[in-house]
Amino acid sequence: MAQAGNPCAGAATAASAERGLDWLNLFVANIQTGFGPFVAVYLTTQGWTQAAIGLALSLGTVASMASQVPAGAVVDAVRSKAAVALASVLAFSASALLLALRPVPLFVYAAEILHGFSSCTLGPAIAAMSLAIAGPAMLGLRLGRNARFASIGTGVGAALMGACGYLVSEQAVFFLTAALTLPAIWSLRPLRRIEAPAPPPREPGDCRSDARRIVRLLTGRALVTFALCAMLFTLANAAMLPLVAGELTKRGGNDASLLIAACIVLPQGIVALLSPTIGQLAQKRGRRLVLLLGFSMLPLRGLLFAGLTAPLPLVAIQALDGVAATCIGVLVPLVTSDIAGRSGHFNLALGFVGLAIGVGATASTGLAGWAADRYGTEWAFLCLAAVGLAATLLVLLAMPETRRE
Amino acid sequence: MTAARGTLSALAAVSLLGLVPVAGGAADSPPPRPNEVVEPVPPGETIGILGKKVWGPDGEDMGLIVDVLVDARGRARAAIIDFGGFLGVGSRKVAVDWRLLRVTPGDNARQVSLGLARADIQAAPEYKPGGPSVEMIGPPPGTPTAPAGNK
Repeated sequence: MAQAGNPCAGAATAASAERGLDWLNLFVANIQTGFGPFVAVYLTTQGWTQAAIGLALSLGTVASMASQVPAGAVVDAVRSKAAVALASVLAFSASALLLALRPVPLFVYAAEILHGFSSCTLGPAIAAMSLAIAGPAMLGLRLGRNARFASIGTGVGAALMGACGYLVSEQAVFFLTAALTLPAIWSLRPLRRIEAPAPPPREPGDCRSDARRIVRLLTGRALVTFALCAMLFTLANAAMLPLVAGELTKRGGNDASLLIAACIVLPQGIVALLSPTIGQLAQKRGRRLVLLLGFSMLPLRGLLFAGLTAPLPLVAIQALDGVAATCIGVLVPLVTSDIAGRSGHFNLALGFVGLAIGVGATASTGLAGWAADRYGTEWAFLCLAAVGLAATLLVLLAMPETRRE
Repeated sequence: MTAARGTLSALAAVSLLGLVPVAGGAADSPPPRPNEVVEPVPPGETIGILGKKVWGPDGEDMGLIVDVLVDARGRARAAIIDFGGFLGVGSRKVAVDWRLLRVTPGDNARQVSLGLARADIQAAPEYKPGGPSVEMIGPPPGTPTAPAGNK
C-alpha cells in the first residue's frame, strides 16, 4: 500500500531501509543521552551559577514546547523526511560542538534552542519514515523495532557518557555526542529515497478548507483524549526517576551512582526485550489493552517506591518503568497514526501530542518537588501514583479503540 | 593551629573573589572604597571557587561547589556542594561549613578538598535555597559555632 509509489520497492533496498532506520534510532538515542540533565553538571564545572543554568535549560524547554506543533507542520510539508532528519542531526552536531567549545551564555542558549527545535523535527521525521516503510498495517511492528533500538541506544549512551565524564572530562562528553552524529548521518543513507505517501489531493487555493480540516483533526475527540492521557502519563512518570535517584544518593552508600546508573539502564533493557512483543500485541489485540497495561504500571510503581526503602528493591522496581516506557513509546506514534495517518497531517498531530507530553514533564518536576518539600518523598511518590491512577482511569473510561480492522 | 591557618587561606581566597569587602566594615555602612583602584594579586594565590570539584580524604569525588553562602559582613559561611548522582540525575545539594574546606590554589589537581567521609554528606539534610533556615554540616571540633568577631 504505502510502498506502492515508493521508488525503493525492491526487497533488498527495503531491508536496507529497515536496517538504516534501526541504526538511526540507536544513534539518535545515543546523542539525546548527552543532552539530558548532564548539561547542568557540565555548565556547573564551567563556573556557571545555578540561576544561569536554570535559565539556559528553561530556554531549551520553552523552545522545544513552542516548536512542537510548528515543527510537525514543517515535517508534513517537506516531502523528503530523510532530509528533515539529516538537518535535525546536523543541528545536534552544531549544538553539541557549541556546548563543548564555547560554554558562554550566548552560545549555550543557541545550542539549547537549536537542540529543542531539532528534537521536535527529528521525532516526527523518524515516525513518518517508519510509516512510509512499514505502511499503516505493519506500523505497530516497525514502531516496536524503533523502540528496541532506541532503548539500546539510550542504555549504551548512558554507559559510554558516564564513563567518558568520569574518566576523561565533562567537556569530552559533548565531543563524544558530536562524534555520534556521524554514524547517525551514515545510517540515513539507505533512507534518503523514502518518501511519505502523497497527502490526499487538494485543489489549489483551498487553504481554508485545509485549515478547517486541521482544526477538526486537532479538536477531534480521539486525539484530544489521547493527548490528555499522554500528558497525565508524563505528569506521573517524569519525576519518578529523579526522585528515586535522589533517594539512592541519600541511602545508597558508596555505590549510589552505580545504582542510579542501573535505574537508568535496566528499564532500557526491558524496553529492548519487550517492544517487538508490545508492537505485535497492539497490532493483534488493539491499542487500548496495551495502553492500559503501560499506564497501570504508574500507580503500581509509585506505591512500591513509596513503601520500599532498601536500595536494591528500588532499582528492581524500575523494571516496571521499562514496561510503561515500552507501551508509551510504541503507542504514541501508533495511536497518532491511527487517528491522523491518512490526513496528511500526521506529524502535526504528533507535535500536538508531543506538546502535551512536554507540558506534563515540566509540571511533573514541579509537582513532585513541591510535594517532597512539604510532605516528604513518600508522599511525593503517592501523589505521582495518584496522578498515574487518574491517567489509567482516563484511558479506561474515555479513550476509544483506534485500531482499524 | 594548622586548621586555623587553612581557614585563613580559604578566607583569603574568597576575599579576592570580592566576597569579603574589608575586615571590620559594619554591615549597614556604605561599602568601603579602596586606596588604589588596582591591586595586583600574585598568580597562584587565589582561585575561582564556583564549579570546582571537591576531593575527599581518600581522593574520592565529593561533588562540585555550586554556591557560597556569605553573611552580612561578606564572610563565607558555607559552601553548597552538589553531591552524587549519575549523568546529572539524582544529585543532592548540601551545605558544608566553610571552615571544613581546604583550598590549595597551587595544587592544580586537588585545589579544593574536604575532610569529610561520603557518609557524612549523604546523611546531611538537603540544602534548599529560600527555605526557612539552612542546616549545614557543622564546623570542625574546637571552633566556635560562628566565625570569631561576627557578633
